[in-house]
Amino acid sequence: MKNKIIIIIATLFVGSFAKAQKLETSGFVRTYEGVTYDNGNFVITQQTLNLNFEKRGEKVAFKANPMLYMYKADSLSLNLREVYMDMYFKNFDLRIGKQQIVWGKADGVFITDVVSPLNLSEFLLPDFDEIRTGVIATKLDYYIGNSTIEAIWIPQFTPTVRPDANSIWYIQPEFPAPTTFDWRQSEINPSLKNSEMFLKWSAMTSKVDFELMGGYTWDDNPSMHVQKHFGMDTSTTPPSPILTGLSITPKHHRLSLVGGSFSTEIKGVIFRGEAAYYNGKYFQTEDPTAEGALIQKDYLNYVAGIDFNLGNVKLSTQFIQKYIIDYNSLMLENEFHNTATFMSRYDMMRETLHLELFSYIGLSDQDALIRPKITYDFDDGFSILLGGNVFVGERDGQFGQFQDNSMIYTKLKYNF
Amino acid sequence: MKIKNLIVIVVLLATGFSTNAQLTGTQIIDKTYNRPTGEDQTSILKMTLTNKQGKQRVRTIKQFSKDFGNVEKNIMFFQTPADVKNTSFMNWSYNSDKSDDQWIYLPALKRVKRISSDSKSDYFMGSDFTYDDLGDRKLNADNHKLLREEKINGKNCYVVESISKDEDYMYSKTITWIDKSNFVGVKKEFYDEDEELLKILTIKKVEKIAGFYVVTNSEMKNTQKNHITSITLSNVKINNGISASKFSERMMTRGI
Repeated sequence: MKNKIIIIIATLFVGSFAKAQKLETSGFVRTYEGVTYDNGNFVITQQTLNLNFEKRGEKVAFKANPMLYMYKADSLSLNLREVYMDMYFKNFDLRIGKQQIVWGKADGVFITDVVSPLNLSEFLLPDFDEIRTGVIATKLDYYIGNSTIEAIWIPQFTPTVRPDANSIWYIQPEFPAPTTFDWRQSEINPSLKNSEMFLKWSAMTSKVDFELMGGYTWDDNPSMHVQKHFGMDTSTTPPSPILTGLSITPKHHRLSLVGGSFSTEIKGVIFRGEAAYYNGKYFQTEDPTAEGALIQKDYLNYVAGIDFNLGNVKLSTQFIQKYIIDYNSLMLENEFHNTATFMSRYDMMRETLHLELFSYIGLSDQDALIRPKITYDFDDGFSILLGGNVFVGERDGQFGQFQDNSMIYTKLKYNF
Repeated sequence: MKIKNLIVIVVLLATGFSTNAQLTGTQIIDKTYNRPTGEDQTSILKMTLTNKQGKQRVRTIKQFSKDFGNVEKNIMFFQTPADVKNTSFMNWSYNSDKSDDQWIYLPALKRVKRISSDSKSDYFMGSDFTYDDLGDRKLNADNHKLLREEKINGKNCYVVESISKDEDYMYSKTITWIDKSNFVGVKKEFYDEDEELLKILTIKKVEKIAGFYVVTNSEMKNTQKNHITSITLSNVKINNGISASKFSERMMTRGI
């Protein structure tokens, strides 16, 4: 109740401040409901107020983007998605504060786009602007002709947001013995030593757009250090060792990566590519000699895609592969993991009715997430969306595991 | 004296009686397409879409363009409606046969994306104008033929028929009325693939700004669907010295 009052007061205060300062105010109100078609449960009941306050001058600018989410009638949460200040100089810009940073040329997959971590509390379903979390960072963009050098310093590490244990997107792991978790070591203290740094050189030319990047970061996902505890099974003759428990210590580790991306047009077809080489990632292994049941390996992640038009239908497809270098057969993850995406979009009725189909296809796991949707622009800035999230395929796959969460949903959105 | 007369006759023959000669359709369209418009231009474009029930939708765009000689660059910042606010679109159009380069910045995606310029027949933001109607169509994309000269709206006009060299082009032909005095279009008819009249573009207002003729009000009517799009330009500034850096990823993301 206290939180609710604070949020309301803050909103009213910011609203009157905006009026007084002639700030540019925009945003949206959205109601979003999803129901699983297996059991008819309303698994999504979300009301959202998104506010954008911006003021832009010749030399400075600022933006604050609070988002209010109400999940149930009495549950209200405030998220400051972005709040930053800009300084503009002749050849460079400086942005300081909480910000979302998007890199790369791929759609819906995150290869070099690793600066802003993901919020996976609702799996991959939120809109792409809401799936990223902001990072508190200093970003410098230096411009030379058509190219830009971007340097980012993040003093405070932000991990991937995982679903709560009571979420329908939380998968309870199965352990062969009673397990205890020690999350104390998963925290990374903000310090100079623990900072993350990224550097990118990009250019936009008449022939090709490209980005070359490097990062010294933390793995957004913690590695699970597993300690096995054994006792003696005296029911056998002779007594034999038996697994009696597991102690799991999640820890984030340093990760370095270099990569790049490009896009170009050839005879009306857009060709896109993106790749990154990750150095020093910890993978789970069944090797009994491996400390903490982990093994450190490098891996390559890349995507190749095309965008083209077939009549008035816009089509896009991508192939994504993750390849673990110097693979060891005791590792739990496969050496190759292949995924594809497919997108088609058709706008009709003078761009007021939009039909779209987006799919992730797990080529390795033989599963898929199929996302059809119809959006009708009832009025300028007001849209009505009817969509589905259909999870199919093998139950141990990335998408197939959520088969029971297949749903239809609606979104009504008013932009202002 | 005789020698002098002879020289005059020879010169006139050599130049093809250029001062009085009848221009060809291609020459007229060339003069229309290449009419001086200044090195750069800034304006606010308001597009009003009216359907057959009379319901109106309005789109507002701030646009900047600059001619760099071999390439013309154009950048648009969408201001209304609210759901497209801060979206920007950039087009680089080349004098050569090279197809245009186009990028779009969607603020929700926070990324500048290269898009295919193949979709020139698509309608721009649900209006009656295709991207091709709004852009610079290349002179040699069509065969041009002068049909006649006639007076409309009190203006003496050339009437030129243009037929695309691409058989799959969305218009079977267009007929353009061009003011003989300044080579500004007055009216244009667009015919569909069945050679039926599809749309009529009417130039409603031409202003002379900074010494250049600028169409500040035009209307495109789809006669088959009874849908109208009106475009007005305001705050037009010409040769204001727009920096080349305006046409960059930096500006697309920063906005105006």
